[in-house]
Parts: sequence; structure tokens; C-alpha cells
Amino acid sequence: MDLLERDHERGVIGAALVSAAAGQGAGVAVVGDAGAGKSALLGSTYAADGLRVLRGGCDPLRTPRPLGPFRDVAGEAGFGPLLHGEGASLAHVCDELYDALRTRPTVLVVEDLHWVDAASVDVLRFLARRVGSMPLALLVSYRDHEIGLRHPVRPLLGDLARLDGLTTLHLSPLSVAGVGQLVAGTGLDADKVHAITGGNPFFVTEVAKDPGRPLPVSVRDAVLARTVDVDPEDLEVLQLVATAPDRLDDRVLPALGVDLPTLRRLEATGLLDRARGGLVFRHELARQALESTIPGGGAPRLHARVLDGLERIGTTEPAVLTHHAVAARDADRAVRYARAAAEEAIRAGSHTEAADFFRTALDHLDDAPPAERAELLLRLSFEQYMTSRLTEAIETVRATFPLWRDAGSDVGLAAAHETCAVYEYYNARRHRAEALVDRAADIAAEIGRGTGTGPPTGAAADPAQGTAWATRAFLAYMRNDVDRARRGLDDAARVAATGDHAQLALRTDLVRSLTALVEGDVTARGRLTDQVEAARAHGWDELASTGYSQLASLDVEQRRLRAAEQVLDASLPFTVERDIPICRHWQTAVRSRLHFAQGHWGAALEDAEDVLEREGMPVARLWPQLVAALVPLREGGTPPRRQLDTAWELASEIDEPMRRLPVLSALAESMWMTGETDPRVTEDAVREVARAADTTGMEWGVGDLAAWLVRLGLLDAWPAQVAEPFRMSAEGRAEEAASWWQRAGDSFNAAMALGDSTDPAHRTRAVEMLDQLGAGATADRQRVVLRADGVGQVPPRPRESTRANPSGLTNRQLDVARLVARGFTNAEIAARLYISPKTADHHVSAVLAKMGLSNRRAVMVRAEELGLV
Amino acid sequence: MRRFIIEREIEGASELTQEQLAGIASTSNAAAASLGVPYHWVQSYVAGDKLYCVHVAEDEETVREHARRGGFPANRVTEVATDFGPHTATSVAVAVR
Repeated sequence: MDLLERDHERGVIGAALVSAAAGQGAGVAVVGDAGAGKSALLGSTYAADGLRVLRGGCDPLRTPRPLGPFRDVAGEAGFGPLLHGEGASLAHVCDELYDALRTRPTVLVVEDLHWVDAASVDVLRFLARRVGSMPLALLVSYRDHEIGLRHPVRPLLGDLARLDGLTTLHLSPLSVAGVGQLVAGTGLDADKVHAITGGNPFFVTEVAKDPGRPLPVSVRDAVLARTVDVDPEDLEVLQLVATAPDRLDDRVLPALGVDLPTLRRLEATGLLDRARGGLVFRHELARQALESTIPGGGAPRLHARVLDGLERIGTTEPAVLTHHAVAARDADRAVRYARAAAEEAIRAGSHTEAADFFRTALDHLDDAPPAERAELLLRLSFEQYMTSRLTEAIETVRATFPLWRDAGSDVGLAAAHETCAVYEYYNARRHRAEALVDRAADIAAEIGRGTGTGPPTGAAADPAQGTAWATRAFLAYMRNDVDRARRGLDDAARVAATGDHAQLALRTDLVRSLTALVEGDVTARGRLTDQVEAARAHGWDELASTGYSQLASLDVEQRRLRAAEQVLDASLPFTVERDIPICRHWQTAVRSRLHFAQGHWGAALEDAEDVLEREGMPVARLWPQLVAALVPLREGGTPPRRQLDTAWELASEIDEPMRRLPVLSALAESMWMTGETDPRVTEDAVREVARAADTTGMEWGVGDLAAWLVRLGLLDAWPAQVAEPFRMSAEGRAEEAASWWQRAGDSFNAAMALGDSTDPAHRTRAVEMLDQLGAGATADRQRVVLRADGVGQVPPRPRESTRANPSGLTNRQLDVARLVARGFTNAEIAARLYISPKTADHHVSAVLAKMGLSNRRAVMVRAEELGLV
Repeated sequence: MRRFIIEREIEGASELTQEQLAGIASTSNAAAASLGVPYHWVQSYVAGDKLYCVHVAEDEETVREHARRGGFPANRVTEVATDFGPHTATSVAVAVR
């Protein structure tokens, strides 16, 4: 049958196939309601082409199969581990898929993304970003009405809307004329059929198959009309197939007693199809219609039969087994398979599904011993944390406390308190975190003394206590309490030395290096990078990533901006690859601050929004909030009320000097810009700058806040302990300070240091630099101050076209600009960034336009001045 | 009833152990029994990376249904047109002469 009223859509997909065959891939998303003809459209386009076609689908299982669509195509595509049902990490799957798809022109179809699992979304995003450089037509479909705000597929839909080479097609219902063509020769009235079906192609087709009957009022009725002549035994076979939304595996047919003559009779209904090694309904709407005919109480028996059959053939998909075990109301098997499915989901990096499976297991855990329930809850809490549901994770861990007590396990109780402490800290509740970790250490100490309950004395208790001490030391380090940090580290190190506790030992060493770096011992950087490498080599990913996070953070704090850039270049991809969300958020936040310091306002805002858009990990949100407030303030003079209030509340919750002072600095900058008096500046800031001046490692935060307070006339004398460039300013060496900042790559502070000078020539130069940086509002504010001070010759505002700066570039454009600055051609840039040369060309044009430069040579010549090398 | 040769590509087929072959045979028997139509598995040969099976069934589709139920590949299904061998040499010679 010809496809009606889809000529435009077929044209778009056809063009994608042609482009893929030529080596420059494209993606198309087909969007429409159930029955809108998404599969029919996709099927009609690639059928005729000579390209390899790989088809994968997502199923409406209770919880989706992790990487389900890619398991479907693994055999044909020829990539290993998934094929055999083995667990594979997300990064590994991406690599294998990339290799498999890069070498041979391919159409990859993934249908029904409204049922997709989280790991598959990551794989699809990976492909969507690279599709322009591969011979791949990536065709996906989904029902947009079934995708809520927190649906895992959302980020992919964002990519589809934003990235080059990707198109989204919305399928509209058929017109009356279209319906007329479908019902031609049946005697049916096109207007009436159109009114009843709303032009839904699947519905119309079903109606047209049975023109002799009264018009059905729903899709369900239309489907069930096909079954009126089916006898009860055969109907039960249809119902069996309906219990298996993925497919009814062909190999279970013998166990279910379904013979070939039965299948031949059912073929007459036109409802069934053979696909993916099993029996499926031609359309999900048909499956749902048949499922709805299963009598109340009949479903568990049908699911149990399918489950028995699947066990007999040794099915390796625990997600499918869980689906049937739950529906069969078989608690034991539901727990067993849900646990196995959770483990598989974890290996695949599908943490949303892992959490769902653990929840399913817990729901069916009837009379389990408390320790077993507690252990499962802990696993659940970790998956909740991994999916940024911190509040839920904390509740889940807290629910284990009474269970560990019932179980008489102090070891478990101590570990749960320590875990909860870490989550509370990520949730920006430092005081609560410290109380919990103290409690963990006390419980562990009692076991050590033999007064606790649970596994007896000595060796078993020590690691728990060492871990608690190490966490306590880390929290002390975070608030610059180096003495307490060091004591905690000494205690933890003693425990680590008593036995085979290599991870605890490394963790202790790493926090010790961080503490030294806070104290200003730059040689600790070398030790730290060695320790991070060691952690990576052992596979202790979270420890390695924490080391990176803190190193990058301190590098920016202490204004080693280029070093920070190198650390983040290595570490951010690692956090994505190894799936460590807290570190990814934290490091993206650090990069936001880094871009901000370098005057890359566009990229800074992009990173800030990235962190702020994600829920969870409040501890990482501070800098993004400051950046989101200060960039518009510096660029356009927008007063930042709301974000700074939120940041101040957050900083008060975290209550660490390294987090509080930057917020006070931002408030002071805002006051200096707007002239509105803020008691948090006039009172808190003045008090805290004095107090923090005695705190180890606060020379930078104190210097920055003091500089603003001096500009506001709120500070008579600079504090004694400030970092080098601030000391130069304090001593009136404005030019030296400015060149220090310029060398560090912080042009904004260079300009502000010159602006603080008493020399009018320095001050007018500062205004020009601020204009150059795109900090127009700050430049204007300096003009006002200059005029008020009676300086003549205030530089006028520049014309828009005379600015050349990279401040408006996005992260992607910044990457491109750096490569242009190094002399790479478009083809080389395309190869490095996995994009098509055409896309690279677009990027280069956008970069030149945004920087106001006429050609790429100008970028190379001015690279240093523009902060691109 | 018609006779078919089924080629099944299985990597390392020649290395399959007697136990594995027994398991395959039992799966195959169950699949054949479940069809509910006449089906006869005559003989199979393991050679290189392939199994060559001789089955008797009503049609090719039934052969493929048997393969699906057993979870076996059926890369090529060819109907046997005729057979001959040393014992047919004389009759052929006679016919030629």
C-alpha cells in the first residue's frame, strides 16, 4: 500500500539516506501519536535503498531493558559483548558501535523512544553528536505526548533540535481526502470515517479492513473486530503474545503448546508478525487491545506460563523475566530477576532503570531478614544518587538505620551513616554531614573496643572507622580547617597501615596532598596527579575523579587558569565516561568559573546553565549561580537580585569560607555596579573578610573581596595576608598587578587592577580593556567613576564592530576557535571534533562573526591576545 | 512431503562436543514435535563452520518454523531435486545407451 500524504517526510528521510551513503550522515526523528504511521513511514523509505539496515526498538516493559535497542541490532552490526547478553560498560558499547557503524553505510532505526532506557539515550546522544562524520542515517521515532518533563529522552530531543544535520518531522493526521483514498471501494463514507478516527492512519486502515461491520468507536473496537471469528483457544494464544511487549520468543512456542496450524489460523487476523526472533503484534495498539481482553485474574497465569517457558530456554534478559515474574505475582522470582536486572542495568550505565529494578525487588521482598533489606536499600540509594535524586537517596539510606540495628550490625550502621554523610554534603548540608560522620566514627570505635554489636571485635571494625575518619578529614579540608583535616588523616592512615586497605591509604594520601595545596604548597600538585593516576590504574574511578575535581577547583581558586584548563580537559570526559555525576556537575561548575575568569562569558554561561538545569547536587551549584548573576551584570548591567540571594542562602548552608567569600565578593561587585546598599556587604562582608584573613588558604578569596570593599570605600586598609596580585594592588603597584593578571589569563581583573590606579592614563586604559572584553556595563560604571573624579578624556563607548573578543563563544565554538588559532584546516577540525567538514565550516564562520574578525589568519595572529593559546 | 537441505552457519561447528550435539538434537526433536504437522529430521552432518541437515516437511516455511523454534540459524534452505549415487550408476548407463 502506498503511503498517503507523506511525500515531504519521505523526501527528508530519502535525503538523509543519500547523504549517509555519501559518508556524511544525518538524523531524522519522526514524531506522532500512536497509529500516526511512524513505523510505516520509516519502513517505506529505507526498504528500497542499498544500505545496511539495523532495526532496534524500545518496548513498554514495566522497566525497559538496558540498551535494549542496541541488543536487538548487536548481532547484525557485529559488535560483541551485547550480543551474548554479557554486561558491557556504556563507554565500551559506544566505542564498539562507533567502529561498527563507521566503516559501512548504515541505516540505524530506533523506534518508540518514549519507552527508551537511560543508557540507550546516552548511546544515541553519542551517535547524534558524531553523525555528520559517519556514513550513518540515524532514524528514530517517538510519541511526543508521552514524554514528560523528567523523561530520560529529553536531552536527546534537545540535541535533535539543536545539532546540525538532525531533523524532526511531526506527522499530522490524514486529511479527509487521504481517508477517502484508504476507504475507496469499501463503500465507507470518508467524512464519517475521518470524524471517528481523527485521520489516524492505523485506525482508518483497521476500519477499512472490515467495511461490512458498524463503524467502531475506538481503535480497540476496530482491532477486536478482527478476532470475532477466533475460537477461545486461539484467542488465548493472542493473549499470551500480548503479555510480552518485547516479543514472544519463538523458542518458547513448544513449551506453550502453540503449533503451526494455530499460527496459520491466527495469520488470518492480520494482527501478528514475526520479528526479532519472536511473535509480535503488528502494532502496539493491537497488543494493548488484546491485552485488555485478558479476564481479571487471568493475567498472572498467562505470565507464569511465559516465564516458565523463558526459563526453560535459558533466556538471558533479566528485565524481561522481571516483567513476567511481577505480573505473575511470583515474589521470589520477581526479587531474584529484578536484582539481576539491576546489576545488568548498572553495568550498562542505566541508573534510572537500576533504581527501578531495586525498587521492584524491595517491593517483593516480603519476609526478608533486615540486613538483606538494608543492603538492597543501600544499593537503591546509590542509584538514586547517580541519577541526581539526592533527597530520595538520603531518605533511602536513613531508612536502613533501624534495619541495621534490628540486624545487630554496627558495621552496617557505621557504613550507612558514613554514606549518608557524603550525600548530605553533596546536598550542601555540611553541618548535618559532619554530625553523621562523627556518629559513624563513634559506632565504629565501639566495635573496635568490642562493646558494639555485630561481627566481633578488631579487624572488621577498623576499615569502617578509617573510612569515617577519612571522610571527616575531607570535610575539614573543604572548610579550610587544615589542622583538623590532618588529625583525621593521621588517624585514617594508622588504620590503613594495619592491613590490606590500599584504597583507604590512597584516599588518605590524596586528601593530604589537597590539604598541602590549600596551604600553598604547589609541589603537592605533582603528588596529586600521581595519586589520581594511581587511583585510575586501580579502577577506583570515584576517588580519581574526586582528586581531579579538587585539583581543578584549587587551580582556579589560586589562579592557575591554564593548568586548570588542562586538568578539566582530561577529567571532564573521564567523569562522563565513568558516569560519576557529582564530579561531572562539580567540574562543569569549575569550568564555568574558569571561563568566567578568562572572560569567556558565553562559554561560562553555557556551563553554568548546564549545571543549574540539572536537579540535584546543590553543592555544585554555587559558582554557576554566581556566573549566571555576574555575566549579565558585567555585560549589560542587569541587576542580579534573585541568583545572588539563592547563592547566599546556599553558601550559608554549606558554610565554608571558600564558598562564602566569593558570594560576598559578588554581592559587593553588584553593589559597586548598581549603587544599591546591601547590608550583607556593609556588615557581613566587612566582618568576614577580617575573620577569614587568618584562615589558611584564603589569600585569594580574601584578596578578591577586599578589592571590592576598597572600591566601595568600606575598607580602610587591606588585610595583611592576600595573594600576590592583590598585594601589588594594595601597595599601589597597579601596572604590575595588571600584568600579573594578564599573564594568568584573567583580563577582567587586569582591567580592574588598572582601574584601581590613581593614574588617569591607567584608568582610561582600564575602560578600553573592559569594552574590549565585552564587559560594557562595567566599563560604563568606570566611566561614571572617572567623570566623578574629574578625569577628562573618558574614552567613548566603542562601536559594536570594533570589538574583537571571544567572550560570546559557546564551548563548542571556543574549541573551534582554539583549533583555528593553531592553524588547523576545516577538514582537520572536523576530524578532531567528529563533525562533518560542512559543520566545521559553519562553526568557523560563526566564530569569526562573533569575534568580529574577517578571516582565520587574524585569529592566528591575535591568538595570544585573545586568550586562545 | 518434500526433502530439504538446510545450511546452518555456526562458528566453530566442528568443535561442538558430543554433549552439545546431544543437546541440540533434543532441542530439535522438541521443536519438531511442537509443530503439529508432519515433520521428519533425517540426518545432519557437521562440516567446517556449518551444519548440513536433511529434513522432510510439507514446505520450506515449515522448515524455517522448526529452525525458529529451535533457535537455530537456517541460512539457506534448498529443496532436494533428486539424488543419485554409486547404486544408480548402472541405471544411468543403461538409460544413456
